[in-house]
Amino acid sequence: MHIPDGFIPPNICLAGYALTGGVTWYSLRQINRDHYIQANIPKASLLTAAFFVASLIHIPIPPTSVHLILNGLMGTVLGYYAFPAILIGLFFQAVMFQHGGMSTLGVNALILGAPSIAAYHLFRQRDRLRGEKQLLTSILSFASGAGSLLLSAVMFAILLVTNISPDMDINAERTAIFISLGGYSIQAIVEGVFTVMLISFLEKVKPELLKS
Amino acid sequence: MNDLVRTANLLSLKNKAISLNNLCFSYGEERAILTDINLEIASGETVGLIGANGAGKTSLFLTICGILKPTYGEVKLFDRPIKAGQFNPEIGLVFQNPDDQLFCPTVRDDIAFGLENIELSPEEIETRINAALSLTGVTHLAERVSHQLSGGEKCMVAIAAVLAMLPQIVLYDEPSANLDLRARRRLIKFLQSSHETTVVSSHDLELIIEVCDRVIMLNQGRIVAEGKPQEIMSNAGLMEANGLEVPHSLTHYHQ
Amino acid sequence: MKLVLDRYAYLNSPLHRWQQGYKLVGLLSLIFAFAFIQNVWLLPIMILITCILFRLSKIPISFLIKRLRYPSWFILAVIAFLPFISGSTPIFQWGYLIIREEGCWDALLISVRFFCILTLSLVMFGTAPFLSSIKAMRSLGLPRVIVDMTLLSYRYLEELGEMLTTMQRAMRLRGFQAKSLNRRTLKVFAQLTGSILVRSYDRSLRIYQAMILRGYGSQGSSQKNYWKFEFSHNNSSLWGTIMAVLTAIFLVVLETILPSF
Repeated sequence: MHIPDGFIPPNICLAGYALTGGVTWYSLRQINRDHYIQANIPKASLLTAAFFVASLIHIPIPPTSVHLILNGLMGTVLGYYAFPAILIGLFFQAVMFQHGGMSTLGVNALILGAPSIAAYHLFRQRDRLRGEKQLLTSILSFASGAGSLLLSAVMFAILLVTNISPDMDINAERTAIFISLGGYSIQAIVEGVFTVMLISFLEKVKPELLKS
Repeated sequence: MNDLVRTANLLSLKNKAISLNNLCFSYGEERAILTDINLEIASGETVGLIGANGAGKTSLFLTICGILKPTYGEVKLFDRPIKAGQFNPEIGLVFQNPDDQLFCPTVRDDIAFGLENIELSPEEIETRINAALSLTGVTHLAERVSHQLSGGEKCMVAIAAVLAMLPQIVLYDEPSANLDLRARRRLIKFLQSSHETTVVSSHDLELIIEVCDRVIMLNQGRIVAEGKPQEIMSNAGLMEANGLEVPHSLTHYHQ
Repeated sequence: MKLVLDRYAYLNSPLHRWQQGYKLVGLLSLIFAFAFIQNVWLLPIMILITCILFRLSKIPISFLIKRLRYPSWFILAVIAFLPFISGSTPIFQWGYLIIREEGCWDALLISVRFFCILTLSLVMFGTAPFLSSIKAMRSLGLPRVIVDMTLLSYRYLEELGEMLTTMQRAMRLRGFQAKSLNRRTLKVFAQLTGSILVRSYDRSLRIYQAMILRGYGSQGSSQKNYWKFEFSHNNSSLWGTIMAVLTAIFLVVLETILPSF
């Protein structure tokens, strides 16, 4: 889910960079309030690398296979560090695999990063709400994982389809958006279930990873 | 479970467990890792593999189990050529770092992982897990989280996970690295009592002396010597030339 | 996973000698100018500039072709579809399939833009060691937290990639084959990912302790010295950047004054 170089007009690229700059600034401000920033930077960096590596895993969905995006999970584990982490991960992908691109880095960071911050706030409700803890955690994990993927997919599809060609008629655009969202909703369910499983694994093995 | 393994070994007593013919492996064209390896290991034998860092020990193991595809030559297990990339239940590999192997929430889940892959019945899985746990002496750890075990415990759990598959050949890559003295002693006792065809790669030469019938020395991807552990390892000239040192217990050994 | 990023970073070419900070500014402005192009008549100029820069960089063409393989499926699909779904003037009709003129031009425009920007990015990051690119970005004003995080995660990327490969090997040796998607497969992958996260986290704690022991975050290493201005005086680098920026402006001006196609 990366917009390649040359696919969208430069004003959107620049707007993407500007907004990404703003969100990064805001995230860094939140991060700087953190008392443990010294300890959290190595943690966030290693997890950035780990998420980058995890996104290389192929999950089979016959007849093809997909790479997981995991932006919701990044939000739940990394909090506000998720945004710079995604920015860095996308930068690595653009430079190393030509996946995404330098001109679209800002837009792509926004597409994946903004939903991950939303996922962070959503998952944090776990500490506020009362009820059956385990069930609540599962529901919130699913919602963070599936929801942020879907949110990203909506932004991606709309941005790409409406900007790729000035000569496309509105009906064709609408069809293209719906077809792609249909595909992504399957992936959203997979990511949601995956997030539930992963968070339950972390709760058993390393609960402190989930306490930001 | 011991009995099962023993029967399996008896059946294949006269067999060559592993035979390698002109085995070569390289990454791309420039970096040759293994060159012209010829080797036969009889069923039930325990063989040590020594050599300096980068001699090709781990690559040799990965080629034998079919993870790496040889660029030339072939690997036969029990006279049957193996195809790289295919799962071979008759062979197991214990990785150098147990963390590479253990990834499930509990020890029990980890041992069950391989058994579920070969689609055994739940009862059979249960029996095999318990057998493997008691064989390696870690029954008390069954419900613990694998990531939180000590180094020695992790090592034994990793071995249990491999043995539960009832392989006839087990390869151990640096099993005593990162073990304390008592855990190492337990490992040596365990290796001495095991019945599978065993290949141990190690820098821990004293362990090789205690455990192995035969030793093979690698240097830059070639077999440079093989024979009785005491004889090979007491040869100061040979050891030095291949980046190794005569182990302390053999400094006064005379052939 | 092998990161072959730095393979051609130590050649000797005008582009390698162009200081990385200046180079980033120059080539990024060209990249944005390229993204701006809508006029088909400007495509040859774009290709020409790209070819000249690529030739000057002495990076072998095989390396570029290899890198083009990763992203191309998605791009091919989009480009193949555009002539059918975009535009109004049919140039060819075969049953229900109508190929339209505007769609064809759009497809050409997008693929050339894509190819040129990608090549320039490769030249930009392929002609200097990756670490000096990050340092150059630091002197261009990238926030310190981001620079620190980028450097640290880059340092461990290959190692964690190796960790993933080894763990997947261990799983295969115990008979795991991911053929279809079911509950168990997904759970195994979740546990694999979780283990990588946990191991990275444990690792980060030890790294942090080692960093503290070598004075990380103490009073002495205050942030002031960190922000050294790293643009040393270098005339040819400066001229290179001025030329690149002027070319970029020239392209944008041409794009705006030329009658739209």
